[in-house]
Amino acid sequence: MSFLSRIAEKTTKFSCLRLMSVYPTHYIDPIVQKEKQNEQKSELSKLYHIPIKAAVNKSSDTVFHDDTKEKMINYITKKGNSVLARTLLSKTLELIKRTQTEHMNLAKGDKNAINTNAETLLKQAVENCRPLLQVTAIKRGGVTYQVPVPITTRRSYFLAMKWLLEAAREKERKVSLPEKLAWEILDAAHGQGRVVKRKDDLHRQCESNRAYAHYRWS
Amino acid sequence: MRVPSALFAARGRAPQSEKDVPFQEILPLRLKNTVSGKADSGNDVACLQEMGVLFACLKDNEFVEKYCHKEISQFQNCYKCYMDRKFEAKKTVNQGIVQPGSNLNYKQLNKYMRRYPNPL
Repeated sequence: MSFLSRIAEKTTKFSCLRLMSVYPTHYIDPIVQKEKQNEQKSELSKLYHIPIKAAVNKSSDTVFHDDTKEKMINYITKKGNSVLARTLLSKTLELIKRTQTEHMNLAKGDKNAINTNAETLLKQAVENCRPLLQVTAIKRGGVTYQVPVPITTRRSYFLAMKWLLEAAREKERKVSLPEKLAWEILDAAHGQGRVVKRKDDLHRQCESNRAYAHYRWS
Repeated sequence: MRVPSALFAARGRAPQSEKDVPFQEILPLRLKNTVSGKADSGNDVACLQEMGVLFACLKDNEFVEKYCHKEISQFQNCYKCYMDRKFEAKKTVNQGIVQPGSNLNYKQLNKYMRRYPNPL
């Protein structure tokens, strides 16, 4: 570890920037998944002399790995208990699978039309909840205006997952989180429910405040 | 006896004596050797037109996004381009390469002026 901090010191001396990371800025992220490695095989020779960060402890190359799922686990985690978060999410996915299978068996018509893949349903739900815009409070002449501003893709994913979780946590004590989360995810995947409504409300608010859009300056 | 004021006016007002009112240099009477970077931070209002088009489409279709794919992608591309450009600009500013020319940013100007400061 000491040599890493020494490198960090060295770089900070040159760039006059204090970084929170032990790695200097020229270190690149490791590619753990075999598929992604194969994709970048042609550019491998460029990486020969570039230092690479150590892989994160929990990163893995299984078929069950999914970035959305990993992010969701991070957001569910409370007080660093990611083991519990992982079990909660897997329970949620199990419940989704069960309900969808039940729907499929009860369906009269085309049984293949019902999606029973819990992971794609989760992804679909997150996609359906992503907002396009956001409002920020900007003070002009003593009056605070809610000004619509565009948001980055990253933030839109964050907001979608956060809203899903907030909706799931708003429940009675008797109901468990996986039950409510499964319910919300299924609702959102079909383009209805509270979270999609929340997104629509935000869009409506942005639309009604569109006259203030030129107020933003910072 | 009253003296008509027109007589005074013809002579004009006497100048202040410098002994009575000594000159004070409240701010230094020379330019600083630095410029502030405030003006270079630029205007953050981007993609207003795209936003307007998007709002019009959303309102027409009662906020159902699947009917406004074109507008949404245009809006997002615009914002992405804007952020990329901003990022690149910031990177070039932070590199601090001084090249001759009139179009200098504040960091380059500061470097120049540090090299050739105002004579005291």
